[in-house]
Parts: sequence; C-alpha cells; structure tokens
Amino acid sequence: MKHVVVDPITRIEGHLRVEVQVDEGSGKVTDALSSGTAWRGLELVMKDRDPRDAWAYIQRICGVCTTAHALGSVRAVEDALGITIPKNANYIRNIMAATLTVQDHLVHFYHLHALDWVSPVEALAADPIATANLQNTALNAYKLPFRAPGASVTEAFEHDFPAATPQYFEQIKNKVKAIVESGQLGIFSANWWDHPDYKLLPPEVHLMAIAHYLEMLDKQRELVTPHVIFGGKNPHPHYVVGGMPCAISMDDGNAPINTARLDIVDRAINMGRSLVNNYYLPDLLAVGAAYVKAGRVDGGGMAKERVLGYGAYPIEPAAGTTNGAFFKNLLVRCNGVVEDFGKGLGAAKVYEIDAEDVQDPKVFTEGVEHSWYEYPEKGEQDRNPWDGITAPKYTGPKEGSATEWKALNENGKYSWLKTPKWRGKLCEVGPLARYIIIYTKAKKGMLGDLTWAEQMMMDQIGAVSKVLNLAPEVWLPTMVGRTAARALDCQLAAEINKFFFDKLVANIKSGDTKVASSEKWDPSTWPKECKGVGLYEAPRGALSHYITIKDGKTDNYQCIVPTTWNACPRDDKAGHGAYEMAMMDTAVKIPDKPLEIVKVIRSFDPCMACATHMFNAKGEKINVITTDPYSGTHVEK
Amino acid sequence: MKEEKRKVYYLFSPFLRIFHWIMVLAIVVLFITGLLITKPVTVLGIEPTYTSMSMDWVRNIHFIAAFTFCAAFILRIYGFIVNKGDRLFPRVWEGHFYSETIDVAMHYMLLKPSHAPFLRNPLARMSYAGLYVMVLVEILTGFAMYYMTEPSNIGGVLFGWVNVVLGGEMVTHWVHHIVAWLIILFAIGHVYMVLRADLMEAEGEASSMFSGVKFLEHVPKDANEVEPAKDAK
Amino acid sequence: MDKRESMWDLYLKKGMSRRSFVKGCVALTSLMGLGMDQVSRVVEAAEKKPLPVVVWIHGHECTGCDESFIRSGAPLASDLVLSQIALEYDHLLSAASGEPFEAHLEETIQKYKGQYILCVEGAACTKDNGVYCMSGGHTFTHTLRHAAENAAAVIAYGTCAVSGGIQAAKPNPTGSSGIAHFAGKTPVVHVPGCPPIPEVMTGVVMHVALFGTVPPLDGEGRPKQFYGNRIHDTCYRRPFFDAGMFAESYDDAGSKAGWCLYKLGCRGPETYNSCGNLRWFQGMSYPIQSGAPCIGCSNAHFWDEGAMSERLPKFAPPIGDVDKIGAGLAAVTAVGVAAHAAASVVQKKKRIADEKKNEGAGE
Repeated sequence: MKHVVVDPITRIEGHLRVEVQVDEGSGKVTDALSSGTAWRGLELVMKDRDPRDAWAYIQRICGVCTTAHALGSVRAVEDALGITIPKNANYIRNIMAATLTVQDHLVHFYHLHALDWVSPVEALAADPIATANLQNTALNAYKLPFRAPGASVTEAFEHDFPAATPQYFEQIKNKVKAIVESGQLGIFSANWWDHPDYKLLPPEVHLMAIAHYLEMLDKQRELVTPHVIFGGKNPHPHYVVGGMPCAISMDDGNAPINTARLDIVDRAINMGRSLVNNYYLPDLLAVGAAYVKAGRVDGGGMAKERVLGYGAYPIEPAAGTTNGAFFKNLLVRCNGVVEDFGKGLGAAKVYEIDAEDVQDPKVFTEGVEHSWYEYPEKGEQDRNPWDGITAPKYTGPKEGSATEWKALNENGKYSWLKTPKWRGKLCEVGPLARYIIIYTKAKKGMLGDLTWAEQMMMDQIGAVSKVLNLAPEVWLPTMVGRTAARALDCQLAAEINKFFFDKLVANIKSGDTKVASSEKWDPSTWPKECKGVGLYEAPRGALSHYITIKDGKTDNYQCIVPTTWNACPRDDKAGHGAYEMAMMDTAVKIPDKPLEIVKVIRSFDPCMACATHMFNAKGEKINVITTDPYSGTHVEK
Repeated sequence: MKEEKRKVYYLFSPFLRIFHWIMVLAIVVLFITGLLITKPVTVLGIEPTYTSMSMDWVRNIHFIAAFTFCAAFILRIYGFIVNKGDRLFPRVWEGHFYSETIDVAMHYMLLKPSHAPFLRNPLARMSYAGLYVMVLVEILTGFAMYYMTEPSNIGGVLFGWVNVVLGGEMVTHWVHHIVAWLIILFAIGHVYMVLRADLMEAEGEASSMFSGVKFLEHVPKDANEVEPAKDAK
Repeated sequence: MDKRESMWDLYLKKGMSRRSFVKGCVALTSLMGLGMDQVSRVVEAAEKKPLPVVVWIHGHECTGCDESFIRSGAPLASDLVLSQIALEYDHLLSAASGEPFEAHLEETIQKYKGQYILCVEGAACTKDNGVYCMSGGHTFTHTLRHAAENAAAVIAYGTCAVSGGIQAAKPNPTGSSGIAHFAGKTPVVHVPGCPPIPEVMTGVVMHVALFGTVPPLDGEGRPKQFYGNRIHDTCYRRPFFDAGMFAESYDDAGSKAGWCLYKLGCRGPETYNSCGNLRWFQGMSYPIQSGAPCIGCSNAHFWDEGAMSERLPKFAPPIGDVDKIGAGLAAVTAVGVAAHAAASVVQKKKRIADEKKNEGAGE
C-alpha cells in the first residue's frame, strides 16, 4: 500500500491537494482525500455591505467562472427585494451566462485538461500528412450537427475552421520540437510525459490536439467579447441589481448598446458555435473514443449514485426564486436529484427540487466533521446555510507541522471546504449531472414536451452513444463521460447564446429597449428585513446564493458552490464526496506518477477559490487553534 | 449712565483684514461650488458643444477661488511679520492660558456673568488655530486631488503623498468634503460669537475686522502682546 | 541546453524575416507606450536579451489575473508564453503537478538565481503563520519569500498582490496584505487592478524582458505608462461631465445617450488605470463605456471605500449622507446659537441690573 500526495494540483483554479492510498499490486485506490488548502474568509467580509454592491464582492470569489457568482448574487438580491428584471436584461444575462459556459468549457478542455490526455513529446512522432488526414476524418466522423431550431443565420460561412494541411501541422511540430530541444520546456516542464496513458492515443491525435491547444489559446479571448460589450470587461464584468447597466439605444452613438455593439456580440456567438463544432467536439470524441475503446470507463464514482441540479436559463424574466417563478420558466429543466443512474434507467430515481426545497432548512445542510471549522455546540452535526457559521478551527496535519504538511489526517479535519448535503446525502454536480438529470427525467416522461434545448441534449447523448457504441448509463457516469458532457454542454450553451441573441434583437425590434428596473433602487423602498435566493447552473454545476437584507445592509450572505459539492471532505454518515469517490473508482498504474488521479480530478474542472466559501456573515468571533511548533499551541480569540 | 473711558488697541494690520475678507468670500464660493461638484445639477438635453462650460465653470470657479485664497495667504504672512497684533497665538505654553480658558468657557456656558477682558480670548485663539488646521487640510487635500491629473509633475510630487497617507484618493475626497462642512459650522459659530461679543462687551469686535482696532474699558490680560494702547477720542 | 534565446534567435529559428522582426518590435514599442524614437532600443533589446525565465505563484486569489493575462491581444498569450518568455512555473497553465512540479520550482530558482522574474498573483496571508493559504504542503508566504528573494524582479499582479485585495477588506479575517514586504531587496512592480487590463499585464512582462529593467515606476511602484492617468481624465465621457450632463439612474435618457456616470457613484475621478486610454480588449470597451460606473478596482483599498453607488459616505436611513448630516448640524448649530443668544441677552440684562444695584449700594 502506498500513500501518494499530489499538491499542488495545477491547471485548476485555486489550491487543491489530494492524497490517495494505492494498492501497488492492483492499482486500486483504497482511500482518497481531497483538501481545499486555502480559506480567504470572504464570508466575513460581506457583512454590512450594500446589497446592491454584493455582486461585485461575490464575483471576486472566482475569476475563472467570473460572472457566475455575480449572476447568482443579483438574482438573490432581486428575489429578496421583489424585483423583476426587464426582458432585455434577462436575455443579456443569459447571453453572459452562456458565453461564460462556452469559453470556460473550451479553455478547460484545451488548456486545463488536454495535457492529461495528450503530450507534446508524443506529438513529435506524428506524421504531418497523417495528422492532416486525421483532421479530415475527425471532422467527418465526429461532427455533431445540432443547432438551435430557427436560429438566425448571420455568417456567410464558418470562419473558424481547423486547418487540415500537412504544412500547418509541420509548422506546429517544428515549434514543439524547438521547445523540447531548447531544454527550456516552460509550461511543459516536469510532467509525467513518460506515463503509459499517453501511449493510448496515436501521435497524430497528440499533434492535432497540441495544435488546437495553441489555436484556442489565441481564440478564447474573442469568445468572451459579449462580456466586454455588456459588462465592460472580462474577467469580472459589471452587473447591476435590477437588470444590466448597458443601456440600449439605437438613437445615439454613445449608447452602450447599439447595432455596432450587438454585431460584436453576434460575431463572438457565431465564433463560439464554430469552435465547439469544428474543434472541441471532434477532438474530444477522437480522444474519448480511444479511451473507451481501451476499456477506460472508470472514474464515475458519485455520478453513478447521486447527481443534483437547479435548472438553467429562464426563458422570460422570472418574478423571483422563492415564489417558484424561476422553476416554471426554464429552458433546461435539470432541477432535481437523480439517484442510482449507474444501475440503469429503470433503477434510477428522480427527486424534483423546487422553491420549497431550496428554502427548507432540512433539505440543504452543511457539515464540518472533517473541515477546519467548528460549530458552537459540541457534537453538533449539520446546519442549514441560512444559519450557517464559519468559525475556523485549524488543526494541522497528521504528519508534519502546522505550516509544513506531510500527510493530512483523514480521520480528523483536513480541508477548508465544508460538506454540503441534500437530505443528508452527498451529490455530484456539473454538466454531467445536468445531462444525467435531463436524460432520466425525459426518459421517464417527467418533462412533458421537451424544450428545444432539452431535445438537443437528448439528441447529443444519442449521437455520442452511437459513436462510443455504449448505452448512456454506461458511458455517462465515467471520467470520459464527465469530460464529454462538458463538451456537449458547451455546444448547447453556444446554441442557447444564439437563441437569446435572437430574442434580444426581436425584443428591441418590437420597441422595448429597457434593460434595468430602478423602482426599488433606493434603499428607502426596501422592507426592513427580507431574504432571497439566487440559483444558477454555473459551468461547474448547481450554484445557489442566499442573502438576508436587514436595514438596507447585508446581514447574512451564503453560497453553496458547485466545487464544494464535488470536492468536499467525507462525512462519517454520508460517506465520501464526489472527488474522493471518483479517485477511488480509478485505477493507478504507477503510484509515483498518478496521472490517472489528476486526470479524474480535472475532469471535474475544480474551482477551489469558489469552493472554500460557504458564506455566513454573522461575524462570530473566530477561534484559531494553531499547533505551530515554534509558537506552541494557543488559542487566539 | 456713567461715561466709560475706553482705550484703543491697534490689533489687525490691513493685510490681515484684506486676507480675512478674501477668505470669507472664498469660503462661501468654495463651499457652494464644492457642493455642486459633489452633487452636480444636471443640465438636460443640451449637447456638450453648447454647454461645455457648465460643470467646467463650476470647477473653474472653485479652482480660481482656491488659488485666490492660497495667494491671499501672502498678505496674512506679511501682516504676521510686520504687526504684533496679527500674531495672537493660543499660548498653550503659558500656564495661565488654561485657567483663563476655563474662565471664558464658564462665561460662555452662562455660568459666569462675564469673563476677564482680553484682546482675544483664549477660546477664540484656539478656535482660530483650529480653523487654520482645517484650512491646511483643505489645501493639502484639494491640491492632492487637483494636481494628480498629472502625477509626475511638480504638483503631483508635492501633494500626491496626501492620497497615500489617507489610504486612497476617494478618502481624500471625503476628508475634503467633511472638513468643508466643519469650516461652515465654524463660520456660523464665529459670526455669532463676534456679534455676541459686541452685544455683551461692545468692544468693537465686529468693526475691528474693518478698522483694525478694538475699544476696551479694562486693561486686557493680553495687552502686552500688542502695541501700547491709546486713549479713545 | 542552458543557452537562453533572444527574441531574434527565435525569429531566425522560425525562419522569419528581419522585416517581420522589426515590425514586431515596432508593435511592441507602441504597446509599451514608448515613442517611436525608442524603436531602435527595443530592437536592440530584442536582439540581445535572452528569453527571460518567469515563475508565477498564487496566494489568496481568484485566478482572474491569470485569466486576464491570457486574454491579451498583443502580444497574444500563446506568443508570449511559448516564444517570448519561458514560463517555468504557473498553477494555471503548467502541465505538471505535485512533487515533481515543486521540485522543478526549486530547480528553477537555483538555476536562475537573481535572473528570473517572479510574478505573484494574490495576497499574502499572514495571520496564524499563514496557515489559511497552503500550497505544496507549505504556507504560501514561505514560497513567496523564498522565490522573491532570489528573483531579479517581482511583479505583483492584481490589487490582491499589491494591497491585499478583497480578502483584506474589513475585517480581513486572514490577515492578508500586499506581497511587497516579503520581497526583501528585490524590486517590486505593482500592477493593480481587479484584474489588471490584459495588455497591461503582458506589457509589463515585455518591458522587463526587452529592456532588462523594470519599467519607470511612480511613487507607489506602478508603471507610469499604465497608471499615470486617472480614468476620469482620460474618459471619453468626460465632455459630458464638463457639460453637466449626467445619467441620474440606470437606463434613463442620460444612460442611453452615454452621459457621465459620476452621479451613479463612478470612481473614475480617483482611479489610476489605463481603462480610459487602452480600454479592454484592445479598445473595445471598459465598464463606463458599457454603462457601468467604475468601481475603482486598481485603488489600494477600494473595497472599503463606501457603497459603490454613492460618492459620499452614507449611513443607513434615516440618517443619510454627509451632506444631510452637515446640513442637519448647521441647523442644530443655528438653533443653538439663537438659544444661546437669547440666554446671553437675559444674562446681560441681569448683569447690568446687578451692576446698577452695586453702584446704588456704593453711593
């Protein structure tokens, strides 16, 4: 049995450490531990801030899924104050959200995840002519021809198309060669390039993917221009409670939004569709098919047992979350929990999630059994986020010192993440969860008439099942399935982008240019105390924000964040979280080079800065117990 | 009524008096324009080509008033050099200053019918010193904002540190604004105290800022600080 | 293997012409905000200087600065990372993880002692010996101190690294601060912003790479070429401010016409950044152009400078802002003065009466 530590896990957001026990004979992971190793305390910073500014503070949780928290926040504040945003603002926010999803997924696949699958070293053996041929084959075999029905056509042809010429691949190969030969590998330094997993794919796939890594590094910036137009910048675009700040006018050249500005948005949307359809999906399916063929259908873990979603994209402005309006109005009705999907569609159980659930203090809770926090009452187990408490209690590692870790204590506290629970159970969230939920709900006839987006999701699943020649119940809850679902989600978001852009244009055409509702801007119009919830299906999964406003100020603010669901430490009753289960569902060939472990972790697209923020702004006194060998053990009050 | 014999004390040089009235005018202008800069009045519906002067004007008037005010300090300093009466400090280094302060304060709190005679009483001296501190804060914060349009020029170098010390230029704005209000509160109290002194003692408190002299019945405690008194005609 | 290539070497290797090399240098010159008379210096620098080694470490942060960095339009992130610098350590882009990655960091520090550029993203967490920010089994401050002391120069990217950022906002639960005081004698370049503009981030690295020195800095350690102006003074909406034309609320006629956002709380008048001149995405927009007031994200303590929609400190209703308090105090003072005046008159009458009595008694 070997104890393996990977810290830091790179190509993610934030600070993550994993430790696994590997049986050296079988490669089986017998125990796995995932630890968020930083805590910024933003929950305490939120106290007493102007709720109209909350989006700006909360957005700074994360610069990778930038916008996600801002959107969750404005929705929560608007729910609390009873504001219904104008139609245009709803469309624009959906474009912001879908744009984030497209760009974030694409960057994740190429720049954060790809190097787990492909290697520049392997690419050196590729034949440029064969690579060009492969590119042609991939485009033919792996193009998924799905589009939003009735979407406007604003481009003459697809401007963003992969080059499939030997000369192009020759040039890329030479560049890679120059880097490798220079001895200064830069970002390619020190990886386990000799790991056998890299031999699973032919050299041509490596070269094609490395070429696209570079292409997408240049292109990704252009995908987020809708954020720059509507929100002024990216990362961290601007929002406003009540709508969007970008006023629309076709009468003024100085207007934030006029035709010229919308054209930039449209170009980015068209580009997103082309990049997903011509690069991302073919590349992903080429890699994924090879892995599935090699029998690599592991790494599912929690996805087989329980997944959770809140639902996404209100088609028209929702008049609140807590009154249920949000759930009646969704383009993607993935609100719910699906249990036992891994046992087949027949055995799978579906539980709806509605407005009452998100407010019920018994449905969503969080525990701190293995987190570096403590609850005031001894032996107290779980608390609802509404009255959650964030009091750090750092206990240090099992081996090593408080500031120099060797091994964390899996039996004690070992992470800055709390353990969120749905009815006392742990769940996985993310694109995979969304696809599993929609698929199960649709197959069980729970959705009635499918929206076009839900139909597209079903079609996507069907098409991929055909390519992989496996049933969805088999390939979806795996590491490959998790990565594939993200690509499908990216294609869906690219189409949703177009759908809402068309709605925005049609609405402006009808004479409605309103983007913000200012009636409840002034705090004197607010109730003395109110509460609100904001829900959003972020790129990484189900996100919920809770706010309590008192006397015009933020009294309590909390989020339950996707990566917290996935990366949380274990619970003695409820078992392991999604990361830990996925690692324990993964075989490790060489314990010293646990590439499979980092690969399965990255298939979740970790976002640790998000995860370590379970908000509570009550400002309880923080007790810190340090076990620093130099300062001795002391309690700081 | 008994004929009073009063002595004339020459206090304020013309330089100080001119400075004082420039200051009065400047403070009024600065305060009004300052409020307008913080909360501008929107001029609706006219394109900048035609109205480029409105906010610009307000700011320029503010700046001109500020520079005039600062320039007028030359008069104040000159008067300070040439005339003893322009140098009425709060003499905090002298022990009797404190007992006298208490004496005056008791009178102002209506606990004593009168206070000892002064050319300028210690409470007044302290409040004027306070005013100068506030004016200094306004000048420093004002120039810190004004000159940072070009941080590397000489003005930026001379005053830019104020923003750093205060922790940010937004704070500089706040300090400038809050101290402006404090000066106005001072001014209300000042005008009242002057008028009241005339009412209570009739020693020419208000007119002294025009004529430079005060008429005192008793020998003031701080008579040694100025030129010897002359008999009133 | 140890030979470090210059930009010109790379152009030669790529088989690119001298002409395109010079063109690249001209583009860089203007990007760095230098006059065209400086082109020859840039060319010279690009010919001779070896590729700089860059190490990028993360403290208490959100990775928004990394994301901004890869949004750079000129130079493109791919060109920068693969041809103009050797990015040996970066949590976002580096392939490697775990122990070999940490070993590579140490190797890089030793091999290029005093020569590499250290980029720091995120605040330094100092409370309780820094246990709230651990990476690789160490505290972040441990790595920071070690990497900074051996670097040629440190670039503090983002308001977090410069002055603590969001986690240092009140009550600063983790004792976070800017990183400069961990750098020892190594010069530190401050590049604030939440995040900084992409081309500002890459421009600073390019300056160090090409000239071998840190760019000219202002008193707060910021590159003058990028932080030398207020947004307000460079804002394309400034004419509306001067003309007294303001958006009064979101989405009103003024908002639609693109008027000044000052009355919605815009922090442009006290914020030093390139949003007005460079703008975001190579001139595409910046918050004000998109109708959103500036929040002053490159200012040291902008999170603690009051409600973002107000220009004055404001208290909860019914107290209101400083002007309301000031006017209230003035009114109270006036009333107090009037009361005092009345009392004084009474006092004087009494005094005169007393004096008369005394005089009468004396006669």
